[in-house]
Amino acid sequence: MKGTSFSAIASVAYKEFLHILRDRRVLVLLLILPPVFTLVFGHAFEASEMTGVPALLINRDATPRTQRFIEIVDKNKTFRWQRVPPEITDEADLLKHRVWASLVIPGGWSENLANGNPKPVILYLDGSDTNTATYLEGSVLKSLADFQIKERDMMIDALPDEVIELGKKLPVEIRKQFVSLMEAWSAEPKILYNPKTRFIDYVVPGIIGLILQLLTVTLMACTIARERESGTLYQLMVTSLRRGEIVIGKILPYLAVSIVLIVMILALSWWHFEVQFRAPIALAVICFLFLLCSLGLGLLISAFSRTQTQAIQFSVFFLLPVFVLSGAFAPLEQLPKFIRYASEIFPLTHFCRAFRLVNMYHATFSFYVVDLAVLLAGALITFIGAAFLLKRIEE
Amino acid sequence: MSEPIIALNNLSKSFGNVHAVRNVSLTIDAGTIFGFLGANGAGKTTTMRILCGLTRPMSGSATIAGLNVWKDRHRVRTKFGYVAQRFSLYPDLTVEENLRFFGGACRVPADEVNKRMARLLDLTDLEQKKDTAAGSLSGGMRQLLALDCALIHDPPLLFLDEPTAGLDPVHRQQIWNLLYELSNQGKTIFVTTHYMDEAERCTEVGFLESGQLLAKESPRALKESFRVPLLEIDADPVMPALVRLRSLSDVLGVSLRSGALRIYSPNPGELIAKWRQEWPFPDIQLLADRLVEPDMEDVFTAYSQRYDSLLKRSTS
Repeated sequence: MKGTSFSAIASVAYKEFLHILRDRRVLVLLLILPPVFTLVFGHAFEASEMTGVPALLINRDATPRTQRFIEIVDKNKTFRWQRVPPEITDEADLLKHRVWASLVIPGGWSENLANGNPKPVILYLDGSDTNTATYLEGSVLKSLADFQIKERDMMIDALPDEVIELGKKLPVEIRKQFVSLMEAWSAEPKILYNPKTRFIDYVVPGIIGLILQLLTVTLMACTIARERESGTLYQLMVTSLRRGEIVIGKILPYLAVSIVLIVMILALSWWHFEVQFRAPIALAVICFLFLLCSLGLGLLISAFSRTQTQAIQFSVFFLLPVFVLSGAFAPLEQLPKFIRYASEIFPLTHFCRAFRLVNMYHATFSFYVVDLAVLLAGALITFIGAAFLLKRIEE
Repeated sequence: MSEPIIALNNLSKSFGNVHAVRNVSLTIDAGTIFGFLGANGAGKTTTMRILCGLTRPMSGSATIAGLNVWKDRHRVRTKFGYVAQRFSLYPDLTVEENLRFFGGACRVPADEVNKRMARLLDLTDLEQKKDTAAGSLSGGMRQLLALDCALIHDPPLLFLDEPTAGLDPVHRQQIWNLLYELSNQGKTIFVTTHYMDEAERCTEVGFLESGQLLAKESPRALKESFRVPLLEIDADPVMPALVRLRSLSDVLGVSLRSGALRIYSPNPGELIAKWRQEWPFPDIQLLADRLVEPDMEDVFTAYSQRYDSLLKRSTS
């Protein structure tokens, strides 16, 4: 840019830095939020297994066989069973009993099992939270399978010798197939990319994104709006400062603050949660591009708003869908297709994807080059848009 | 006469249907203290903002030191300082930080900023407040600081938009003394004001009304532009007299001045002769009458109310 002066930019940057420094409350927020968010998100989801879920157990079939089933179910640590008398009728009223599930063994259950006509046990589940119900059902099914294997072993042990002799007359292949079919078949999971399945490893980019968008975008959004509101923007414009100098000078301090915040989050997740960071250069490039994108966005909102109140409102309206739809805290793949396409316009989506591809998948450059390109384009578009809007203010 | 520092040529600007400035032409010579008068909404601030390159003129042109104020606005900016109507400094920055920032923004070298800052703070008695946040200064001190910030790049021209609005008389006096001092140093001062006593302190005064320039002269010449002296009477009770005199057909207007009633009328001699014969209000006493010379307030009233019959020339 013609006649751009480094010292003029430095004057604006220093002034802007003083504004940040003087606003003590926001400064405290800036320094406290990143570690708090990291600790909260890291710990909140670290234990993904549920234990001690309160549940009712109603046995309407007092037989030795049912007793054996109950012994196995009792060992299931997912539930903390409350035994209630079989006469009750309101076993489906989970709310009243303050439980999440209720397991009913119907009368004549073991008799039906013996008669070759197995009937299901009844399981009432609280479906208000979509994940819990399926998890609890799986846990009960696993106990049931354990029980089934035990019952099979007992039956085989109790078989009279003639039956065994009879069985030996069967061809070997058929016998082997029988043995196989009577076993519980299983899968042996080998978990890749996040072998310890820790949520913190997944959520680090989400926290960085949350902090940067929440604090940096809103703070940046307020800078020009504040000058406009207080009339100092005109005072700025009658100085020899060029538009570019004002914009660069305003961005630099926030860039520095944001880098400090990112380093804080990364350092804490490494030191406290032992998250490993590989390929630091690739991660730094991804973070830097995302930062530019966020600051550009703040600048765009700032140049667009007439007052700080407007700037905050625009930021919040923009940020709300971003947090839900960007895949910062939950995988995007669960969302319907058209929403997934919409989420592609958010910088946070690309940032989280690129960050995870590098740090969890150890992917090569070609896997995340598109995300980098989108972030770069986002930064360019927002900066050019802000410069254009500022030109309009000037006239 | 030297080259005029400010020249406006048929300048116009409208916002939608509002004609803020209409075909204003005027020149201001270097070293003048030019007072820009006019009612609220007359277009003073818009004219000043056009001159500062903050608003684009719609037609006509304006130059400062020969440079077009819009096309060359970046070059023009080194030539003037601007003190806006509203307090427009950073309240969370200290006096010194504000000055340093505007020094840097105006590309004044750092060592030069130090020298000028010391001189300006001394001039405006603000050295003691160097480390005070601008937001906690009193209204008068804020205005002095705004002046300092506008002067940090040592411009030959200073724009001040109602610099003394809302200030106490002591600070008003202080600011005007400062303006004299600056004028004495050869700076041109372009100031808008509502205070007529301040208009009287200018070397030249321009009257703006509904975006049109009605007159541009020295305060003395403006006062001499009255065709007739003014009639001043003492009456008792005074307020009913004021209200009822206003309704008379041969009275253009009445204003209250230090307890006396000043009457704007094209024929004050005839009027008083008539009243001495027959005073129209039996329940009001006419105590005394005299003819007085108009002051700036009368000039302002006559021009803004368009009492053409009082003036030697037409205002339209």
